[in-house]
Amino acid sequence: MSSLHTWAGLLLGWVLYAMFLTGTVSYFKDELSQWMRPELPRLSQIPDQAVVAQRVAVELGNIAPGTSQWSIRLPDERNNSVYAFWRTAPRNPGQRGFGEGNFDPATGQRVASRDTLGGEFFYRFHFQFHYMPVVWGRWLAGAAAMFMLVAIVSGVITHKKIFVDFFTFRWGKRQRSWLDAHNSLSVFGLPFHFMITYTGLVTLMALYMPWGEQAAFKTPAERQQLSAELSAFIQPGKPSGQKMPLASVADMVRQALERWGRDNVGRVTVVHPGDAAARVSVARGEAGRVSMSPQYMEFDGATGKLLMVRESVGPAAETRGVLYALHLGRFSDTEMRWLYFLVSFMGTAMVGTGLVMWTVKRRQKLPDPERPYFGFRLVERLNIASIAGLSIAMTAFLWANRLLPHPLESRADWEVHAFFIVWVLTLLHALVRPARSAWAEQLSAASALLFLLPLLNAFTTQRPLWQSLFEGDRVFAGIDMMCWALALLHAVLAIRTARQGAISQPALKPKRQAPIAVTSREGAG
Amino acid sequence: MNHLLPFALSLSGFTALAFAVRRQQRDVIGRPLRPTTTYVLRLAGACALLLALGILVAEKGWSIGLVLFSGHTSIAAGIVLCALIGQARMVR
Repeated sequence: MSSLHTWAGLLLGWVLYAMFLTGTVSYFKDELSQWMRPELPRLSQIPDQAVVAQRVAVELGNIAPGTSQWSIRLPDERNNSVYAFWRTAPRNPGQRGFGEGNFDPATGQRVASRDTLGGEFFYRFHFQFHYMPVVWGRWLAGAAAMFMLVAIVSGVITHKKIFVDFFTFRWGKRQRSWLDAHNSLSVFGLPFHFMITYTGLVTLMALYMPWGEQAAFKTPAERQQLSAELSAFIQPGKPSGQKMPLASVADMVRQALERWGRDNVGRVTVVHPGDAAARVSVARGEAGRVSMSPQYMEFDGATGKLLMVRESVGPAAETRGVLYALHLGRFSDTEMRWLYFLVSFMGTAMVGTGLVMWTVKRRQKLPDPERPYFGFRLVERLNIASIAGLSIAMTAFLWANRLLPHPLESRADWEVHAFFIVWVLTLLHALVRPARSAWAEQLSAASALLFLLPLLNAFTTQRPLWQSLFEGDRVFAGIDMMCWALALLHAVLAIRTARQGAISQPALKPKRQAPIAVTSREGAG
Repeated sequence: MNHLLPFALSLSGFTALAFAVRRQQRDVIGRPLRPTTTYVLRLAGACALLLALGILVAEKGWSIGLVLFSGHTSIAAGIVLCALIGQARMVR
C-alpha cells in the first residue's frame, strides 16, 4: 500500500501540483481577471442587470447578426464586465464556431481594455492544460485526478495512526519533519482533498464514462431532455425563417429578478434572435445555492411571453449538480471563498511536500550523494521546475500582462506564451544548477517577482496600491497585498533551503550510513 | 454571517483534542494527564466541534453549513498545529 501511495503520487505528481495550484488561484479567477484589465473601472455598485442585459443584447445584434445563439454572463459582485459568446458560421464543416468578447456594462460596447485571458487562463489550464487538444487535456486531468484518488485512499491506509499522530510534528528531523508536514497537510484537509478530487472527476464524468448515457438516451428528443437536466443553455432547434425583432430582454430579466432577488440573475441565453422562433432563457445566479443544476425562466423571444420556469431537476441530476457546485465553490461569499482558497492551498502544499519527500527519503540511501542515479536526478529537477518554477511562471504571466504593449497582435496568446517560456527556462535552470542552489535561486526569484509586482502595477497602471487602499478597491488592494504575502512565503522557503544546504553539506556524510534501518522502517511516504 | 463564534469553537475544540493526546501532554505539559482529564478534554473538544457545526447549519442550512464547517475545522486544526510547533520551538 505504501509503494502504491508513493508511485501513484509521484507519476503524475507534477501535473497534480500544477492542477492544484492553478485550481487554487482559480477560486479568485474573477478577481484576477479584474486585476488584469486595469482599464476597466471597478463597479462601486452592481448596475441594474436588466438594463445591462438589454444594452449588450442590442450590441450583440450589431456584432453578430444572424447568429443562431448568443449567451451573456451579467455583471455581479465579482465581475465588472459582461462576458458574451455567440455561435458563428463554422470554419470547417462539422466544427462549431464561436466568437466571444467582454463588454462594458456601462456602455454595452466591447471593453476597451488590454487583450487578456485574465484569471480564465489558470482556470482552463487547471483542467485542460494548453497547447494540446482540449479533449486530450481533459483526459490527462482525469487520469491525474484518478491517481490522486488512489493516492488519497492508499495514503489514509498507509498512515494508520491518523488520530494518534493528528497533532504530531517533529521539528528539525529532516525526513520525519517532511513526513509530519505531509501528513498534517493531508489529514487536516482530508475532507476537502477527497471532495475536490472526486467532484473534479464528476465535472467531466460525461467525457470519461459516456457509455451509460449513450445506451440510455438514443433519440434526439431524449438527448435534449438530458441536456435540459444538466444545463441552462437551451438548444437552438430550427429557425422559422420569419423575421421578428427580439422582445425586450430587460423585461424578461426584470421578471427573473423579481423571482430570485436583486442581482441574482447569472446568464441570459438567446437562440435565433431576430427570428419568430427565438427563445430566451434567463438563468438564476450561482450565489448562495450549493448546486449547479440549471434554474431558469424560458421566454418566447418574439413576444416576450413566459413559457416556463425550471427550478428543479431529477435526483440523479441534482446529485451531479451539488457535487459540481462543491468543486467550483461559486456559491461562496468572500469568507467562504477564502476558506476554499486556504484549504486548497494546503492541498497544493500536500502534493508539493509529497514530491519533495520522495527525494528526501532516497537521498540518505544514495550510495554516492554527489552522483545520484538518473531517476533520482530526474525527479529532483522536475520537482524544482514544477514547484518553484511554477510560482515564477505564474507570476511571469501577471508581469507579462502589465509589460506587453497594447494593442499587440494576439496579445492574450503572448501572455500565455510568456508563462510557458518562463516555465521552460526554470526547467533549464534546474537542469544546469546544483539542486539545492537551484531551489534557493528559483524560490528567491519567485519571491522577488512577487514582491515587485505591486510596484510594477503602480508604475504601469493608474491604480497603484495606495490609491486602491484609499478608494477601498478590494480587488486591486487584495491582489497587490496577496503578492507580498506570497513573496514573504517564498522568501522564507528560499532562506530555509539555502541555510539547510549550508548546514547539511558537511553533516551529510557521517549521517549517511547510520539511519538506513530507521528510515526503511518509517517509510510511510 | 458571523464566522467568529463557530471558528473560535473549532479552535478551542481542536485545542482540547490536542491536549487529550499523550504525546502532546508529554511535550507541552511535561507529564501525562490523568485518564479522567483526558477523557473530559476529548469530550469537550468533540462537543465544541459539534456546537460549531450546529451553529453553522442553523445559520446557513445544511448545504452551506457543512461546507463552512469543513473549512473552519481544517483551518482551525492547522492553526493549533502551528501553535504547538511554535510552542515546542520556543521551549527549545
